[in-house]
Amino acid sequence: MTSRDPGPEVTMDGSVRLEEVVMRFGDFTAIDKTTLEIGSGEFFSFLGPSGCGKTTLLNMISGFLTPSEGQVLIGGEPMAGVPVNRRPTAMIFQNLALFPLMTVFENIEFGLEVRGVDRKARREASERLLALVALEGSGPKRIGELSGGQKQRVAIARALAVEPRVLLLDEPLSALDLKLRQHMRAELKAIQRKTGITFIYITHDQGEALTMSDRVAVMSAGRIQQVADPVTLYRSPATGFVAAFVGENNRLRTTLIQRQGERVRLDGGVLGELAGRVAASSRLEGGDRAALYIRPEHLRPVEEGAVGPILAATLEAVHFEGAWVVLEARLDASGEMLRVQLGHEISRQYTDALVAGRRMRFGYEPDDAVVLPEDGSPRVDEATGEVVEAGHV
Amino acid sequence: MFRQLAARFGSPLAMAILGLLGIWLIVMVTLPQLQMIDYSLRPNLLPAQQGGPQDGWTLANYATLFANDIHRAIFFKTLWSSVLVTLLTLGVSYPLAWYLAKVATPRQAALCILLLIIPFWINEILRTYSWFIILAFRGPLNEVLMMLGLIDRPIRFLSGDGGVMVGMVYAYILFMVFPVYNAIESLDDNQVRAARDLGAGTVRTHRRIVIPHAKPGIATGCIMTFMLAAGSYAVPALLGSPGSRWFTQIIYNWFFEGGNWNQGAAYAFLLLVLCIGFMSLVMKVFKVGLGDIAK
Repeated sequence: MTSRDPGPEVTMDGSVRLEEVVMRFGDFTAIDKTTLEIGSGEFFSFLGPSGCGKTTLLNMISGFLTPSEGQVLIGGEPMAGVPVNRRPTAMIFQNLALFPLMTVFENIEFGLEVRGVDRKARREASERLLALVALEGSGPKRIGELSGGQKQRVAIARALAVEPRVLLLDEPLSALDLKLRQHMRAELKAIQRKTGITFIYITHDQGEALTMSDRVAVMSAGRIQQVADPVTLYRSPATGFVAAFVGENNRLRTTLIQRQGERVRLDGGVLGELAGRVAASSRLEGGDRAALYIRPEHLRPVEEGAVGPILAATLEAVHFEGAWVVLEARLDASGEMLRVQLGHEISRQYTDALVAGRRMRFGYEPDDAVVLPEDGSPRVDEATGEVVEAGHV
Repeated sequence: MFRQLAARFGSPLAMAILGLLGIWLIVMVTLPQLQMIDYSLRPNLLPAQQGGPQDGWTLANYATLFANDIHRAIFFKTLWSSVLVTLLTLGVSYPLAWYLAKVATPRQAALCILLLIIPFWINEILRTYSWFIILAFRGPLNEVLMMLGLIDRPIRFLSGDGGVMVGMVYAYILFMVFPVYNAIESLDDNQVRAARDLGAGTVRTHRRIVIPHAKPGIATGCIMTFMLAAGSYAVPALLGSPGSRWFTQIIYNWFFEGGNWNQGAAYAFLLLVLCIGFMSLVMKVFKVGLGDIAK
């Protein structure tokens, strides 16, 4: 997942570089000064809630928008003054934007027709692309005759037909149902490996970003919060926003007591002494206010007298979700809510105990709990992934 | 239809609606037309001779057009000029409709539409007269062109078809702009963006994406403009010269100067047939049905 496979067909430099780009619309700054390098042949995702500026970034790379400041380079060449139709990029639109009055063939061949490729070569290319997206024989069909997944594939084939160095994907899977979406994730990843083209993927769905990408940039309010591979992003979020937005997290307010390398001891106030891990680069010191993030799946029931930090809570709700059980518990000391996710194996041992009103004690491995500076992090709505309260991130 | 209306409005109201519709269609549309057909098929007789031995149905009035070289020439010239007016109007309206639908901000579009509509609050004859003044031999347009040094002496804009063309394009532009605007407006912006993204330039994007999408609107605009142009009387009468007579003027002359209603009715029907023929042709060429146009 984290390895960067250059792919067999890479002949051209598909790297993308954003140099201190800024995008302003009137008084509104959609993108604050951003510098970023995306490698050739990389599957790179921009992940963020709607309105975070990720589509604006994509439009600057494709050329639909010109940055207010800074510049975009593709394959090392500055793109200033290069119009959309002359850039080595192709875009897959959120609504796909297939041409409804044309056949599948005509859609795929449109870009080649523009380039003056003759009829026979065009047809050969489109047949080859239809085979790549597993749609052989659908060429003469009208767009209206296709299912959602088939339209998706035609859109991919149409974009690949112009042999772009960079393929830009603007949430192309959001209109599909869950099963098809998961299937298309694997297919997109496979096509990316096969073609070796740089994929830049925009999404608000962390599942998509984490499963497909080599690297992910998490965005909020026009700024990139963190750029990392999916494992690092999940295990070591760099900001409170990333911790709250990627996956689920319980957040506890603490004060740092002592730091030993990456391990820290924390004063949780009424919760007693807690522990966690900070990044080596973190500037947190003893006495600083700090937020402790514990993922629901890292919490587990412990017996009385166990060593390590303990959180005592009363169960308020128990949700059986098949592969796991989710517990909603209220911390006895502070009244804050705690979310716990137990795997099948563990939850079976506690079947009788998992009822509302029951008092339980939860422990966690301090290495799994990330400690970040208390930065008034935003609250993220669990259902929609939208930021409910903006923080000072 | 009655049952649907009755279910919605109740029987008495449904009957009233259908009754009014029937009266409208029969008394105000069908009967007058039938009477004109009857007129066109009878010879022009003195009142005393009507009902006499000479009275009877004949195609003589229709044959007149084909026997009269001048009238026939004017008939085909009217056809050709109306096509030209239609194409010119489309040429002016398409960029305007594109601008209104896809380029302008809502404010700009509203302002622009207002500016387009305001002149139409004035009577058509008066608007046409204003063009007569603008285009006159000693009128402001010639003055400006001379002042700019573009011409040495005034041009007789009104002596040929030029004045008529300008007047008609101006008079019918709204009938073209609005259907085309509506059609273009319904085009998803991403279609245009996708075409651009795949490398298409402006011309190809319009030819392959925008125009095919806007086809029903373009067909509607063309049909309306052609009908209005072919049936126009005021513009050729005011801005035309003896050399640019319109077929409607011949019809007018038969009715009101020649006093020969029978002949006039026959000519009027020939013009109607011409218009219907053109409409069917355009619909066939653009592959649109009546349903698309009614939208």
